[in-house]
Amino acid sequence: MLNRRLIRNFDFYLLLIVIALCAVGTFTLYSATRNMEGLPDPLYFVKRQLLFMGVGAAIMLLVCFIDYVNFKNWTGYLYGANLVLLGLVLVIGEVEKGAMRRIPIGFFDLQPSEIAKVIIIITLARLLAEKEGQFPYFRDLFPSLAATALPMALIFLQPDLGTSLVFLAILLGMLYVAGAQGRHLGLLIGSGVAVSPIFWFYLLEEYQKNRLIAFINPELDPTDKGWQLLQSIIGIGSGGLLGKGPFNSTQVRLGFLPDHYTDMIFAVFGEEMGYVGAVSLLLLYTLLIYRIFWISTQAKDQFGALLCCGVAVMFFFQVMVNIGMTISLMPVTGIPLPFMSYGNNALLVNLTSIGLVLNVAMRRHKIQF
Amino acid sequence: MSKLMIRRIRVIVVIVIACFIVFAARLAYLQVLKHDYYWDRAEKNRYTKITLPATRGKIFDSQGRLLATNRPGYVVSLMDRGEGYDPETIDYLSEILQIDREEIEKAIEGRLYMRYLPLLLKSDLTPEAIARISEYRWKLKGVNIEIRPIREYREGSTAAHIIGFLGEGPVDEETRKLWAEAGYQYKEGDLVGQSGVERTWEPYLRGIDGEQLIETNNMGQPINYLERKEPIPGNDLYLTIDLDLQKAVEEALARRVEHLVKKEGNKHAGRASAVILDPNSGAILALANYPSYDLNTVHKNYADLSQDPRRPLMNSAIQAGYPIGSTFKMVTATAALEKGVMSERDIIRCGGVVSLYGDTKTCYRSTAHGAVNFYRALAVSCNIYFYHAGLRAGIDAVAHYAREYGFGSPTGLADLPGEAPGVVASREYKAAVTGGEPWYPAETMSAAIGQSYNSITPLQMANYVAMIANGGTHYRPYLVQKAVDSKGQVVYEAEPEPLRQAQISSRTLKILREGMRAVTLPRGTAYAYFSRLPVTAAGKTGSAEVSRNTPAHSLFVGYAPYENPQIAIAVIIEHGGIGATGAVPVAAEILEYYFTGQIKGVTDN
Repeated sequence: MLNRRLIRNFDFYLLLIVIALCAVGTFTLYSATRNMEGLPDPLYFVKRQLLFMGVGAAIMLLVCFIDYVNFKNWTGYLYGANLVLLGLVLVIGEVEKGAMRRIPIGFFDLQPSEIAKVIIIITLARLLAEKEGQFPYFRDLFPSLAATALPMALIFLQPDLGTSLVFLAILLGMLYVAGAQGRHLGLLIGSGVAVSPIFWFYLLEEYQKNRLIAFINPELDPTDKGWQLLQSIIGIGSGGLLGKGPFNSTQVRLGFLPDHYTDMIFAVFGEEMGYVGAVSLLLLYTLLIYRIFWISTQAKDQFGALLCCGVAVMFFFQVMVNIGMTISLMPVTGIPLPFMSYGNNALLVNLTSIGLVLNVAMRRHKIQF
Repeated sequence: MSKLMIRRIRVIVVIVIACFIVFAARLAYLQVLKHDYYWDRAEKNRYTKITLPATRGKIFDSQGRLLATNRPGYVVSLMDRGEGYDPETIDYLSEILQIDREEIEKAIEGRLYMRYLPLLLKSDLTPEAIARISEYRWKLKGVNIEIRPIREYREGSTAAHIIGFLGEGPVDEETRKLWAEAGYQYKEGDLVGQSGVERTWEPYLRGIDGEQLIETNNMGQPINYLERKEPIPGNDLYLTIDLDLQKAVEEALARRVEHLVKKEGNKHAGRASAVILDPNSGAILALANYPSYDLNTVHKNYADLSQDPRRPLMNSAIQAGYPIGSTFKMVTATAALEKGVMSERDIIRCGGVVSLYGDTKTCYRSTAHGAVNFYRALAVSCNIYFYHAGLRAGIDAVAHYAREYGFGSPTGLADLPGEAPGVVASREYKAAVTGGEPWYPAETMSAAIGQSYNSITPLQMANYVAMIANGGTHYRPYLVQKAVDSKGQVVYEAEPEPLRQAQISSRTLKILREGMRAVTLPRGTAYAYFSRLPVTAAGKTGSAEVSRNTPAHSLFVGYAPYENPQIAIAVIIEHGGIGATGAVPVAAEILEYYFTGQIKGVTDN
């Protein structure tokens, strides 16, 4: 199945970027968790992250063996299975921070909302590729909207505002690249803004509203939500140009930064590595996104191209919202930073989607332009 | 791939790069531009400074007997241990400590980060309160009991007006500046001296607080103990007063006032003061006011004390001005003798009543003293003689010599706060308070016997008689003999400080001393009690009229021994009647105690 051409087209640049991100992520995770109290072993989180990195890498390579064109035919099953899992979460899921997000299986909690991200990318890529760039009427958007709305609604019910926003970003990004008309997209966004007061008054939980208020003015309530934001900025700001050095984050050591090894890990990195480190990491993410978009332009078909664009938009949105949150340019939403934040499901899904992109790259046509 | 798709991907890539630039700029703002600010915030997160209070200096009497010291007392404080304040704990504490719930809630409200540090609720708990808190310790959340030094006054009410007490009362701008110059930066809420030596010597007594820098976690729990600056204990003060003499003076005053009230039916006698000075240095050997108050319970009883009509909190010995009656007569004599308008041998006839300048004035009970010279006149306190002496010298001369003796301005005592300047009756003073009314000769007659506008403090009286005794030197009165630091080094030692020399001839002063000697000899107004003294003395009695309906203030000024003065004394009993029955026996007892170490037989009550 793997011939020489496939191997020649393997995108080592992308792999290198991902390896670099995984290495930085693992190292920062070690720094953030090595002194945590109540751990059986200072390497507990690092070991688990490395284990899932291994599993994720295996899946990533495995995905490369199967021509991505086959995924098109499995979309229905994948989509259906995912809906069942998302429904199941609401029934038997484990409650965490007031939301049901996980289904425990042995030593590992399955988080169907993470898996749903990559499945919606595949589903949308298929639906949009069939249109071949032709969206003359607004109703042409309906199948994609419906396909996204279903899992998104189930995730919103958990409730998990952050992840459902990722779906919205993926949908808009892919519709745009696929060639939906500008005015239709404008109409879509406009009606979204129009119904947002309904969300504010009826659908958002109190804690979600507090986060938004805290974002607008973090000093307003320094004991609660704003506290987290403030401590994140204090950590990053105190890092300075060159940082306090590895393992030297006082904000983490003295427990001032909540969620420091998950959502707030960028604050730890920024404090320890300073401006130079933080900008380098940003650059690495930019390169990752750019490379995925570049691969998308090389794809042999619409489906492959849209697949890559979906993955790129997913990473872009998550990086932007997460880092933006730590430097107070975005509200606190609880979206993890790809390859950096501790999280088994996210890591598996991120590596799987990289696998899809590598797959598209391997099976591209000869250079088009 | 369509051209549209490629174009649109380019648009997204541009957005991605724009985002990168915005984020990099934001990071530059936080990490480069505002780095110092956030570095500071992070450090503040980490560190807490805990004040290590310096031990306050002790206060001793001149013999090294302890007057004020510190004892361990229990204080209770409340903090948030990371679970929020517990309402049940607050309820319970409010009940035990008898503090309103609202008051506690108000104090903890809005403490934010500070909520992880203990908030002092009450100091010096009673043993019962400690027992009750300890009993329920397992269910009280965030309650700390610590031991802290509490000021203790060993002698309770003795010398209360000299020692003073501590409190958190207001400190005016001037005092703050003064303290700052002495190295103590006052902060709102500091426990500082409110009166007495505790107030004036605050910067020396309090020492310098130390600091312990602690690295804390987000719960305020100490993680590391860092730099420590040890506190420097305050200096110990040794006063000039002698505890035994001070007690004897206070007891003599109290005894006499009670005697006047109970045995003689004088309902008005109440307040009394006495000042004992060393005439050769200005050192205050005793200074007492009756009634006094207990320094250890002053806070608890403050409301009652401040409303008591007898004003026990007031240090009348230095703050109250009185008409001093006949004890003023040495001033009038000084004026007449110095101006040469009268000689000590000149005779005046006293018929008991005199009518001059349209005013009729009398001697005490209209007694006719007959032909009197200066010595006789002073011994029997003949008013008519001194009316004539005053009229001959004139009010301006009388006022001038009153000021020469230090009246009308503070004596210069710096060791107690709030010394009053008093008033000298004069043409200028009358003009100033009446809006320019002229002075009448009849008023000169009043002023000549210590009435009219004259207002003089007991300390000024003691200083006046000390000046007559020592040949006219006005020494600055003082209470602090020396200050000794915690290592035993003497950091301050008082030296007698002659402020000025009165412009009065030594001949005049000698005549005055001889006249005052006669007061204590047979036929003198103080003879009855002074005859039984084992020491020679000189003095002058006084009765100052204040109103028709109340007895006169009873006064005495004097010194002893006559030949070689060692102590100068001033006594006043408000509304105590004539000098001979009120102030004189008190002075006699004080002198007896000073020279024999005991009181027996000089008075018969």
